[in-house]
Amino acid sequence: MAVLGRRDFMHGALAVAGAVLPSLRSGRALADPKKGGALAYASVSGPGSLDPHVSSSLVELEVIHNVFEPLVTLDNANATKTMLAASVSASPDCKTYTFQLRKGVKFHNGDEMTSADVQASMERYGRVSPNAANLAGVDRYETPDPYTFVIHLKEPNVVLLDVMKAPIFPFMILPASQKDKPSRGIDVIGTGPFTLGEWVKDSHLVVKRFDNYTPDLTSPGRDGYAGRKTAYLDSVRFRFMPEATTRIAALQTDEVQLASSIPPELRAQIESRPELAIREIFPLGGTYIIVNSQYGLTANRTIRQAIAAAIDIGEITEAVGGVNKPNPWMSYPNTPYYPGAKTPSPWYDQKNPQRAKELLSQAGYKNEKLIIETNGNYQWMRTTMLVVAEQLKAIGMNVDVHMVDWTTNASHMQQGLGEWNLSTTLFGPEHILGPQQWRPLIYAFANIKGDDALDAAYKAFFSEPDLNKRRELWVKIEDEVLGGGYFIKIADAGRLWAYAKKLHGQSDYPGILQLWDIWLA
Amino acid sequence: MSRLIAVRILQAVPVILIVSVLAFLLITLLPGDPAVLIAGDQASPEAILAVRHNLGLDKPLTEQLAIWFLHLLHGDFGSSLMLNQSVLSAMGERLPVTLSLAALSILITLPVGIFAGVIAAYYRQTWIDSFVMTLALLGVSVPAFWIAILSILFFGVYLRWLPTSGYTPFLPNPALWLRSLVLPALMLSLFQIGFLARMTRSAMLEALGQDFVRTARAKGLSEWKAVGKHAFRNALILIVTAIGILLSTAIGGSVVLEQVFALPGVGRLVVQGILARDYPLVQGVMLIYGFAFVVINLSVDLLYTLLDPRVRYD
Repeated sequence: MAVLGRRDFMHGALAVAGAVLPSLRSGRALADPKKGGALAYASVSGPGSLDPHVSSSLVELEVIHNVFEPLVTLDNANATKTMLAASVSASPDCKTYTFQLRKGVKFHNGDEMTSADVQASMERYGRVSPNAANLAGVDRYETPDPYTFVIHLKEPNVVLLDVMKAPIFPFMILPASQKDKPSRGIDVIGTGPFTLGEWVKDSHLVVKRFDNYTPDLTSPGRDGYAGRKTAYLDSVRFRFMPEATTRIAALQTDEVQLASSIPPELRAQIESRPELAIREIFPLGGTYIIVNSQYGLTANRTIRQAIAAAIDIGEITEAVGGVNKPNPWMSYPNTPYYPGAKTPSPWYDQKNPQRAKELLSQAGYKNEKLIIETNGNYQWMRTTMLVVAEQLKAIGMNVDVHMVDWTTNASHMQQGLGEWNLSTTLFGPEHILGPQQWRPLIYAFANIKGDDALDAAYKAFFSEPDLNKRRELWVKIEDEVLGGGYFIKIADAGRLWAYAKKLHGQSDYPGILQLWDIWLA
Repeated sequence: MSRLIAVRILQAVPVILIVSVLAFLLITLLPGDPAVLIAGDQASPEAILAVRHNLGLDKPLTEQLAIWFLHLLHGDFGSSLMLNQSVLSAMGERLPVTLSLAALSILITLPVGIFAGVIAAYYRQTWIDSFVMTLALLGVSVPAFWIAILSILFFGVYLRWLPTSGYTPFLPNPALWLRSLVLPALMLSLFQIGFLARMTRSAMLEALGQDFVRTARAKGLSEWKAVGKHAFRNALILIVTAIGILLSTAIGGSVVLEQVFALPGVGRLVVQGILARDYPLVQGVMLIYGFAFVVINLSVDLLYTLLDPRVRYD
């Protein structure tokens, strides 16, 4: 039985082999940490619910990750690291996972967290979460003592911990009293460094420091979503401001000290002020052109490959602006499944109109209409598709651009509805987690049906216990998805935040907002 | 009078029902799925189906509409899909913000708009008239979104006189409440002042040209009395009609300003509801707004009888 403790998790069977840690700075601050103070944070919008088991919205997760904690989570290198668990061990056949829990961890209501709470949380997750399908393989749970929790699976699952560390629909541990609460109907009680204070929907939400928080003392400091967390701020007030100009104005007048989602064109305005600064959150996600493999022209693989051959990524990223870096792969550098810069990626950034024309001719293209669907809500998506439309017109394609709203656009992509051949979206931060999280997205968004090569590669992936072999299989999957023209990778994208320089200690980790280990000078 | 009120309220019932059914049909005809927004941009089809089922969105539209009406008969406006909260409670939390904004803007608009209109009419075809009407035209023409952002930058960032955004409730601190609403109310009233000034000028010009004003002047009444008492009172019917329209636009116009000034009002709620295809929320708000507009129109009609004894509805 492989035992994976907190310190040695990186070296365990499921951890990253040979992952190179980025040179992360321990913080931006030169000043010493100082306890106290109230931070005001300007966010785009407010949460509808704070139920972690059903939450995938970033604005909800920004609160949730500071109030709740899971058994395992992501470290700075996006590898699995224990949080409420002290250690995890998997049986050799990967059918049984045993979690030893940290002792003395307190919920915000003062009760100690035990295995009964963990079991109740997992059972609730299986009942209410849209992500519950990931627990379909669970045979039963077992709690032999208050600090041991065991998951028995019906079939081997080599990536269970990778699923459980997901920051979206997170497997947060709630008190057992919440077990029967309906979806989005819980009392907001977690074990995190902050507790929920006042919450006025659409206006503001306050979280306060949890003074009885039990930090993970075995870690030297913070580490991604894990590690030793120290809450310095007395409170943080989330203010919901939909307009970027208003967020920046509030920052300039010190009404807030941190603001999210700054449009690239306003970056200079922030940087021109000595008391303010910009932070690049990178990578936030990967941007992709989505090709509908079940509708009209793009049901033809050769047509899809012709489209991919015509795309010039540089033109797109230049037009879109913001923080974009080329990366042919669906995994980020410095993550477990990144295949390395030298692995051939012939389908990326081809900008080869001649080759595209040859493929069109080979596919028997006769000026049929290609429909691009985009939306007015996200400027980068609209700009991307307008550039793509011009690039495809240049190879002689008959292109029609349809504008809808984002809700419609997203529904069409996620459910395979509507009449469209190409669209675009950003995947992230979910896909830093690896191929298992990618699978439903690949099949749903590109509307893939009956691709035997892809099905076989995924089947082999899920039954392969060796990490290195799984990485090879993931490259094979990417070759099929990107080489088959289902997705066309554009770039890894980031987001800009602005902050007052008196706010110190922000992490370089590009995760969801972390309020621990930051302080106001 | 009481019969009139009862009849008008009864007449309003089918109007409100039609409004709510139309709102339901229009929003459900829009492509897009609220389950996608709730489940998340990257949710799997299975996850979306699970959300649809939990919310009852997999039922036929007619059944959803019937259920909604049935609940309505019991005074239940339903629950917002995105907020997981009853529609009435969501509205109740936000209504004070929108009403405060509307009331404050009307308080600014009435004296300024009427005064500007009267002055423009009295000094018609002079530079004063041109000046006032140019300002009024600017008021109705300038996009609220743009002028609101400029006002934030000038009064909030540059002068630091007022907060740039946000709302403080009235009760804990009326002074802060006023400070939080002054700028948005001023911006909302810019359009209203322009509109009311133009309507008042037009009504006053008509009244000032009437024989009774000439007679009043011939009798030796002061200009103040001839204009203020005789002409203005006769112009009031049109002005009151304009005020009724303004009350409606004050509620509607708050949508943009609540967004820019980050005010947690009903306007912002409706925008979010429409974007999220939150059917119960949008229907509920439309129903309540429909009722509010009926009440405003009825109040205006009743005011006519007070202003002009010749007006009779029976």
